[in-house]
Amino acid sequence: MSVDTVPTVEDLTEICDQVWASYLDPEGLNPLLPVGPMAGIGEMFAAVSITGSWHGHVVVTCSANAARQAAAAFLVMEPEEVSGDDVADVLGELANIVGGNVKSMLPSGCFVSLPHVVTNPGASTRFPSAVQICELAGTWLDEPVSISMWQSNGDRAEVRAA
Amino acid sequence: MLAIVVDDSRAMRLILRRIVGQLGFDVIEAGDGKEALDALAGLDDLPQLALVDWNMPNMNGLEFVSAVRADARLREMTLVMVTTESEQSQIVRALAAGAHEYVIKPFTAGAMVEKLALLGLVPSGVTI
Amino acid sequence: MSLSAADFTFVSGLVRREAAIVLGPGKEYLVEARLLPVARQAGVSSVAEFLARVQQRPEPGALSGIVDALTTNETSWFRDREPFAALTESVLPQLVAARAASRRLRVWSAACSSGQEPYGLAITLQQFLPAGWTYEILGSDISHEMIERARTGAYSQIEVNRGLPANLLVHYFERAGAHWRITPTLRRNVSFQRMNLAAPLPVMAPFDLIFLRNVLIYFDVDTKRTVLRNVGKLLRPDGWLFLGAAETTIGVDDSYERVAAGRTSAYRLRTAVPAGIAGKG
Repeated sequence: MSVDTVPTVEDLTEICDQVWASYLDPEGLNPLLPVGPMAGIGEMFAAVSITGSWHGHVVVTCSANAARQAAAAFLVMEPEEVSGDDVADVLGELANIVGGNVKSMLPSGCFVSLPHVVTNPGASTRFPSAVQICELAGTWLDEPVSISMWQSNGDRAEVRAA
Repeated sequence: MLAIVVDDSRAMRLILRRIVGQLGFDVIEAGDGKEALDALAGLDDLPQLALVDWNMPNMNGLEFVSAVRADARLREMTLVMVTTESEQSQIVRALAAGAHEYVIKPFTAGAMVEKLALLGLVPSGVTI
Repeated sequence: MSLSAADFTFVSGLVRREAAIVLGPGKEYLVEARLLPVARQAGVSSVAEFLARVQQRPEPGALSGIVDALTTNETSWFRDREPFAALTESVLPQLVAARAASRRLRVWSAACSSGQEPYGLAITLQQFLPAGWTYEILGSDISHEMIERARTGAYSQIEVNRGLPANLLVHYFERAGAHWRITPTLRRNVSFQRMNLAAPLPVMAPFDLIFLRNVLIYFDVDTKRTVLRNVGKLLRPDGWLFLGAAETTIGVDDSYERVAAGRTSAYRLRTAVPAGIAGKG
């Protein structure tokens, strides 16, 4: 399978629309609104790594408030009721679901890691040996949310030589 | 009726617990395949249904499905995989290993109920 | 402006009859939100005005637009299950015996929406028919957008989760990006055409099996009669007609009789030639 089949922002949008329709916005009243580069700080993130035939990461970043709202929606609880553990777990599962769906569009022989979740306000996403290849940035419930795909630099060097 | 939910995500276990709970199931949970087998070993009355994630530490869902189908005591359980693995070849592998049905994440509650109805596990007249 | 009780009753009744979806009290906001784009597309600025117009002059396109807006992502494969079970248990064995000479079946899914029904029928026939048999399926719908969608034959992850057994998914669909698409083998036997059932129908060869499910409800009694008469002219004398779970020809069109089919009912023309008579296939 050629590298042309690497997922695009349209594919990310499609995947996220389905995640929102299934867990975060089942009634279709509060969709994720794509607005270009994420406005606002990503205070929390959850990432899964992809290894094997393709190397990179899938990252879900959002404000603390969005994370709490996501946990509340996912678990069908009030935002005030969700614990820090709930938020971390839900963010991780969202990254897992998006990452898993992204993986199914990559060459076969890829593996998805367990999610890594960072919930300290002020943390930002850095992957020193990788480059962001597409991002779905938007607003959900007036809060900034971004879902992005990163490819490891080693991979890209190989692709150029091919 | 009893169901066992096997997934390393607590949030996902909660979602599944709620859906099958509304269908009348009592629910036990496990965080991976090994924990699930240990829980099943200690039960007198076995669950009718197991909802099983694929990617879990210690023992993954495919290994759990194979272990259950190889065990004369456990093999009557209905096994439904609930996972992000959606490559065609992976689904084929799971069905070949003995999973009865397969639900791809993300799934809506309605879709999960329909899959369980295909397996005859939904009392008639129940809607969510 | 929020929805009046009467308007909410109208919409929830329509959606429950059409799609078996229950909109309980408290869902008025959902109806408002989902129907506002539909109202605007109809050139009306408010949902209340749109619903007033629709209730005064109900027309199939507007009614199905309402149902579509409230049932996104909810369309199932093998909807209601029993008609499809009836095909394999009872109807197809009879048709196979009756068509032994031609070994060919023609099927019409006459309100095919996004295509789950005609493709589901194709899967059923593909699995049931013996080697050497051919079949053609026509899917028709009043909506151009639905016909285009159905022609594409691509469905999202959550759509293929709905009532489609996993072993059929891996056999009859292939991955296409984030979607699943009907395989070319299956796709080959299904064609689509936009059609308004209440208008004069195009000339077509008659069908052995017609699915006319959950669309008669959109029509008033006179139009129902017209549709059933038009459809009846396109049904083979020993052919089978399936309606929606809550629908019937009784009291509407006397030329059909209701017969048992598996655990459900179907309809056949009263002049039906008993199955098994050779030479007519």
